[in-house]
Amino acid sequence: MSSNGPETDARRIASDARERVRFEEEVMDLADQVYRVARRLVPTREEAEDLVQETYARAFRSWRSYTPGTNLRAWLFRILTNLNIDRGRREQRAPATQPLEEGDYFLYNRLEADSGSEDEERIVERLSQDGIVDALSVVPHDFRDVIVLVDIGDFTYQDAAQILDIPIGTVMSRLHRGRRILKQQLAEAAVQEGA
Amino acid sequence: MMGLDPCAKCEEVLQPFLDRELSEAEHAAAEAHLDECSYCRKRYRFEEKLRMYVRQACAEQMRPELKAKLAALRTPII
Repeated sequence: MSSNGPETDARRIASDARERVRFEEEVMDLADQVYRVARRLVPTREEAEDLVQETYARAFRSWRSYTPGTNLRAWLFRILTNLNIDRGRREQRAPATQPLEEGDYFLYNRLEADSGSEDEERIVERLSQDGIVDALSVVPHDFRDVIVLVDIGDFTYQDAAQILDIPIGTVMSRLHRGRRILKQQLAEAAVQEGA
Repeated sequence: MMGLDPCAKCEEVLQPFLDRELSEAEHAAAEAHLDECSYCRKRYRFEEKLRMYVRQACAEQMRPELKAKLAALRTPII
């Protein structure tokens, strides 16, 4: 029992409970975003659902380790990515020597040459949405994690670095290489479809 | 960067430009080039649309059952 007396203790407990409720509400508001990112980190919907549930169970359990006023999204997504790593989904390694296209314009150039159209909208529409999801799933984990956090989770390079616990330079190089791999997959899929 | 062809330089900063991670000066330099170069402009617009398209493709909604399960994990209010 604290020396502050029962009244102060009761007040502290009540304020603690309020803070906890607020924390849980804010975490719940992020659920759609967490699911969208989780869904692209793992191959199936079932696994994504498990991963999100584990993330929420851990977040609610360890709410005291969150410092109010700091970046709650980054804190929550760090739990998600750590759990994903713990679940042993890291066996797939990036092929270090896979040759990649030289520049960032190559997908446009390839599709433009292929379709004979110069309209960006039409060119993008040649790619199917299923094709994009498939292409993303082929990108090796380390690269995909960064693409998913930045492009789907809308995190800055700095936040992605904090979430994945890697230097910002690594975020940038993985993003760079990952997007090239993604585009290469899309280019190959488009060529196959057109053939 | 001295000596680099302006379109090559523009291609090089495409990703950080769209990620809003360039410094103000770098961003302004890329914009100035885009204003006068339709070749790069087209490719930037394509990249922007591609990103929106990727985002749409990945906009899968969670099932309401999952949301209910998450809510059930919350601390019960006594």
